[in-house]
Amino acid sequence: MRAARFPLIALFAVGGVLAASLEVTVRDERGNPVENAVAYATPKGAPAPAGPKRTAAIEQIDKTFVPHVTVVQAGTTVQFPNRDPIRHHVYSFSPAKSFEIKLYAGTPPTPVLFDKPGEVVLGCNIHDNMLAFVLVVETPYFAKTPREGIARLEQLPAGEYDVHVWHPALAAPVPARTVRLRADETAPFPAAVTLKAQPARAPAR
Amino acid sequence: MVLLFVTLLMTVQLASFYFIRVAIEEIASQTLREELQVGARVFRRLLDQNSQQLVEATSVLTYDFGFREAIATRDRDTILSALRNHASRIRASGMAVVGLDGRVVADTMDEAQTGGAYAFPDLVVQAESQGRASGMRVVGGKPYQVIVVPIRAPLPIAWVAMSFVIDDASARDLKTLASSDVTFIEVSGGAPRVLATTLEPGPRAALERSAAAVIATSAEGSRLMLGGEDTEVLATPIERKGTGNLYSVLQRPVAAGLEPFRALQLVLVLLACLSLAVTALVANRLARRLALPLARLAKAAGEVAKGRYDVAVQANEPARDEIDELALAFRGMTKGLAERDKVRDVLGKVASAAVADELMRGTVELGGEEREATVMFTDIRNFTSLCETLRPQESLALLNDFLTVISEVVEQYRGVVDKYTGDGAMAVFGAPVAEPGDAQRAVEAALEIRRRVLALGPSLAARGLPHPEIGIGLNTARVIAGNIGSSSRLNYTVLGDGVNLASRFEGLTKRYRVPIVVGELTQRGCTGVIFRELDKVRVRGRVEPVRIFEPLQLARDATTRAGRALDTWHAALADYRERRWDRARGLFERLEHEPGYERLAEIYLGYLADVAARQPGPEWDAAFTLFEK
Repeated sequence: MRAARFPLIALFAVGGVLAASLEVTVRDERGNPVENAVAYATPKGAPAPAGPKRTAAIEQIDKTFVPHVTVVQAGTTVQFPNRDPIRHHVYSFSPAKSFEIKLYAGTPPTPVLFDKPGEVVLGCNIHDNMLAFVLVVETPYFAKTPREGIARLEQLPAGEYDVHVWHPALAAPVPARTVRLRADETAPFPAAVTLKAQPARAPAR
Repeated sequence: MVLLFVTLLMTVQLASFYFIRVAIEEIASQTLREELQVGARVFRRLLDQNSQQLVEATSVLTYDFGFREAIATRDRDTILSALRNHASRIRASGMAVVGLDGRVVADTMDEAQTGGAYAFPDLVVQAESQGRASGMRVVGGKPYQVIVVPIRAPLPIAWVAMSFVIDDASARDLKTLASSDVTFIEVSGGAPRVLATTLEPGPRAALERSAAAVIATSAEGSRLMLGGEDTEVLATPIERKGTGNLYSVLQRPVAAGLEPFRALQLVLVLLACLSLAVTALVANRLARRLALPLARLAKAAGEVAKGRYDVAVQANEPARDEIDELALAFRGMTKGLAERDKVRDVLGKVASAAVADELMRGTVELGGEEREATVMFTDIRNFTSLCETLRPQESLALLNDFLTVISEVVEQYRGVVDKYTGDGAMAVFGAPVAEPGDAQRAVEAALEIRRRVLALGPSLAARGLPHPEIGIGLNTARVIAGNIGSSSRLNYTVLGDGVNLASRFEGLTKRYRVPIVVGELTQRGCTGVIFRELDKVRVRGRVEPVRIFEPLQLARDATTRAGRALDTWHAALADYRERRWDRARGLFERLEHEPGYERLAEIYLGYLADVAARQPGPEWDAAFTLFEK
């Protein structure tokens, strides 16, 4: 059996060896790392394949949407479990996805399908401070930066990509950059963004 | 005098009234101004609070889910109807949605408008940075409070601009709070315009006319004449934007501020009238007490000045006040004057008026001065025999008749009767006051005295009395004129050889049987009088004999015949003196028969006889020696 496993590992290794990575570092104009920035790469030429993940969830905990920023590939359904003892009325008027889930507790029976690319701003009708973003992209290759500001796009087949960087508070849109990735390459992708002055987010009452 | 007091008081009253009025107006103005300033501050705060409330209301409105949903649909008609609906909820004049790009999506105040730029981008900018914006803007000639707030869903998806018109009604609301008239004025390029006001049309027009001046006034406010009414105005800028400035003008008529002082002024006027009346009354009484008595005294003084010392002056004795004292003093003065007059009168009778004056003046001194004067002695011939048949009283009366004549004439010819000498008088011409023509007048007086004495003849004859005759001697010489005696008892008179000579001349009237004999100096001092030289007389103390003359008549009364006789006489006299005895004798003999020359011819024929008897030596001067009496 050792012999059978070996080709599997080799296959995997080959698979691993054939994928490129993109290490994206997002910093603001002062050089500080930016959290919640989204980087996604759309392959040039051919449409991107569908990614493995087909569902996401955005919770409401303590009158706050968690996570603040979610990236999904178009066609993903998003669930909105309400973990609060009080009801929420989730809505969005964004053209990419206009919907509302009227006052509810617990988890709504039907998740919401985000099928159009674009920026979706979520709010709660009765809690003006609740805010969340869903960026719907058309590629499975995306990542969100944590506090350190570094995110890794994995398993990218070699080829040419348009790499976009997005943040909810972008002062100006960042132009996409084309990147040619070779297999096995981990290319660095530094990105500088200018953010709008963000008011300190008041805690929801 | 009443008038004086009343006028004085009235002036004081008017002056104080005027100053009080000025002060009152100042205070009222000041108070008004301060009130307006407070009003402006209140007004400002009201506007701010109002806009605050409007912002809150608008903000709440924009969180309405249905509204937000409607906006998100981007369907213009839906949005418009939602706007209309929501605007009416809070009674806004208009509501508009402005996209994040600054373009109007829908506007209830301009429904046709789509996609145009929003009129007040500065408010949007303000809202972007501060989360809300409010300002006053003029739209279509009307002032609006414009509120711009974001529509959050949950991030701003658009702006809502709500407009609340400031019309006359809202201005009225503000008026009750600011307690002054409120006007909104817009100044944009041309003439200022009144947008909304609480004023009536008349005052509104007046304000509009003076709007430029009003805007230019100071920040503390000032006083202007608006529509003929004094008004305190305070202009406060509300919005200063490039295209147009919006001002709020608070105003109040000064008269309003003066209201509370009306009562005070009325009281003042009443007080003034009262005090005026009281003063008039008091002044009147005072006048009666003062002016009338004074006027009476003045009138009495006038009477006294005219010489009527018997004027009656009423006064209370003992004196009750100063007026009485004055009256009493006046009475005393009048009495004193009357006495003095009497004394002077009496004195004048005793001495001449001139001397009396001098005596009264108290400038009389013992001693005298040398002056030339003409002395006259008069003597009533045979007075004794005249009075033989008379009782003493009658004699005196007769004497007084003569003396009266003499005195009157002497005084008439400006001489002075010196003294009465038994049955005659002595008079002086030229003392105490010398006048030119003294000698002339003395001679004329002598002639007149004689005439008047002769005129007494008929009346005396009627009483069975003999014919009166008078002898007068006149001599002009240097005499001593002055007071003789002691200081307590003195006589003013003249002394000297010349005086004695006059007396001797008077005595000579008997010898020559002529009425008047005058000395050479006297004769020389006369004009217009015909003289007859009588003789040359040697007197004691004189080396040269003096010539004596007789005044015959005034030249104007002369006759030809008398003149011829006179010439003959003087020729005879000359012959005699020049020792042409025979010729002289011949002329004298002729004159013996001439009326009036008998005695003289007789005397000179006697002289000639003497001369014939004793041939005169070379020193003979044809003078008759006068021996001492």
